[in-house]
Amino acid sequence: MDSGRPRRRLWHVEGARTLRSVRGATIIAAFAVGIGLLIMLFGEPYQVRLAVAAYINLILVLGLQIFMGNANVANLAHPGFMGLGAYLTSIFAVPLVIKKTLIPNAPFGLGEVQLGVVSSFVAAVSITGIIAALTGLVLVRLSGIAATILTLAILVIIHGVFVHWVDLFRGTQAFYGIPKVAGIETMMIATALVILVARLFKDSRIGVQLRASATNMLAAEAMGVNIRALRLIAWVLGGVVCGIAGALYAYYLGTVNARAFYFHAAFLTLAMHILGGMRSVTGAVVGVALISVAMELIRHLESGPVILGAQLPDLFGLGSLMLGVIIVLVMCLRSDGLMGGLELDEVLDRHWKRWRRGG
Amino acid sequence: MALTVDNISKNFGGVYAVREVSLECQRGEILGLIGPNGAGKTTLMNLITGVSPSDSGTVMLDGKRLNRLSPRKRAYAGVARTFQNIRLFEHLTVRQNVEVAFTSSEFHRARQASRITIDRLLDQMDLLEMADRPAPNLPYGYQRRLEIARALALAPDYLLLDEPAAGMNRLESTALIDSVRFIRDEHGCGIIVIDHDLRFIMNVCERIAVLHMGELIALGTPEEMRNDPRVIEVYIGAQDNNGEAATPAPRPSPSDGETTVERPT
Ligand SMILES: Nc1ncnc2c1ncn2[C@@H]1O[C@H](COP(=O)(O)OP(=O)(O)OP(=O)(O)O)[C@@H](O)[C@H]1O
Ligand SMILES: [Mg+2]
Repeated sequence: MDSGRPRRRLWHVEGARTLRSVRGATIIAAFAVGIGLLIMLFGEPYQVRLAVAAYINLILVLGLQIFMGNANVANLAHPGFMGLGAYLTSIFAVPLVIKKTLIPNAPFGLGEVQLGVVSSFVAAVSITGIIAALTGLVLVRLSGIAATILTLAILVIIHGVFVHWVDLFRGTQAFYGIPKVAGIETMMIATALVILVARLFKDSRIGVQLRASATNMLAAEAMGVNIRALRLIAWVLGGVVCGIAGALYAYYLGTVNARAFYFHAAFLTLAMHILGGMRSVTGAVVGVALISVAMELIRHLESGPVILGAQLPDLFGLGSLMLGVIIVLVMCLRSDGLMGGLELDEVLDRHWKRWRRGG
Repeated sequence: MALTVDNISKNFGGVYAVREVSLECQRGEILGLIGPNGAGKTTLMNLITGVSPSDSGTVMLDGKRLNRLSPRKRAYAGVARTFQNIRLFEHLTVRQNVEVAFTSSEFHRARQASRITIDRLLDQMDLLEMADRPAPNLPYGYQRRLEIARALALAPDYLLLDEPAAGMNRLESTALIDSVRFIRDEHGCGIIVIDHDLRFIMNVCERIAVLHMGELIALGTPEEMRNDPRVIEVYIGAQDNNGEAATPAPRPSPSDGETTVERPT
């Protein structure tokens, strides 16, 4: 200040503006958590399990939104980072006795290490963030299709490491014995916090500059926007959030398998993200909610339900087909997704204004 | 203190878009850049701002060589521009559009802290009432003004305007003359302005450079340009080509047709 130079305040958002973001995030979070509360109160146990899965997917989609929604670069690597979060949490948190049988030849002396639930979570998410940063350094040098193909390669490489580094990740065999400490309450709290982070990021200076570069790269550069640096920040933050989704997944299920962090997860969450609207945090909630319900209905159909006494034949593969159809339909009919770029609070404010003017 | 282009050239596939052009714009000066369609005006601006690299020649800003700097670094160094085909940030509001430039360069352009604020810039360009509207919803003329406000948020020492009056009616372009003068007085920057609207150019500029087929063919006061035989020849030629012959003008907006035909007499 004394030197006459302004301090660098990239994260700075003015008070009123921060307040507006927090208010918006609260409304979105209330919507997302409200659905879960209803299911907790009135739902059956299997519906609660579905809700937990939906929350984990929602955190993953929010991780996707932070990078893809703001930078407008299609990303397929996110399940890889989720997998890292899940596996690393498992490796740190599994009791030593179980670990001896699971990974007797664990490298780096990890066979002797057992951390608490929270420490494991923090360590796992931090390492995921570091790996995201390293991959990000390469990624931000590319743009467009090249960048997207690199994210695909990252997914394949991470999966390859899980499957082939048997000493650490057990290869194709499941990792089990992780303390099951997370329930639906944990998921709801984590979801609310991640919604807040995603919304604050979107409305921050970095978020606004990044969104500017997404609509017009040439103009953004001419206006001094450091696109690479901002993309790197978004990529790491997104990767960390995906890692959190993975850690919670491990703490809920107690068992982890590499198959869960591959193409199926990538397409499922991508379809959710695209359906809801990539540019909107609310869109993530909407997309996850709709597709989760639809997938469950389809699961009934797939197992050949009895309708009016007639046993229908099994329809395997219907779920994947639906995801494909959703992606195609949204791309053709409403490429901005259901929410467009809007957030729930903005929609509500708009209706409120119209209603007051009308009444 | 000047923005200096020295002997700069650029060719696209063997055809020179800009050829050995040397030009200087002083701080506080308003310099016009005119020439028929395809003369190389926008290309010259791209060379100055680093959007495309030059084949040879140098760009100097107050004695500092810009040649190897990226467009972003040149923005920090003090060159800001607008775009001929409007390039606003679509999904952002008017205010956010300005904010992007304002915040991106804050660290590098220390003087910003002192005087300029986003609201002030919006006010100066008559955009304050529409500050919270999405940028693409603005009327065309205001979109051009927003491009200028956004460029000014970089606190530039030199401002490059690529056809700021294109698509404006007479009333709007008259208001723009005042705005450009005001910017020069208020912000003290040197301004290079390209336009086909000769009434606008003749009114606002202190000196005018004329490009033709990539080469600088004349440079002087508006009065001198009005009477320069080569300039008249080029403009009559341009009229024959674009105005009356079958060759279609590159951008068929009505005002462009009108101004290309307007003869500097
Ligand atoms: N990226 C490019 N690739 C190939 N040729 C180009 C490129 N940019 C410009 N040119 C050519 O360079 C020449 C000069 O173009 P430029 O856009 O600089 O003209 P201008 O004076 O701005 O014209 P206008 O008044 O129509 O805007 C034209 O012949 C154009 O076709
Ligand atoms: Mg041009």
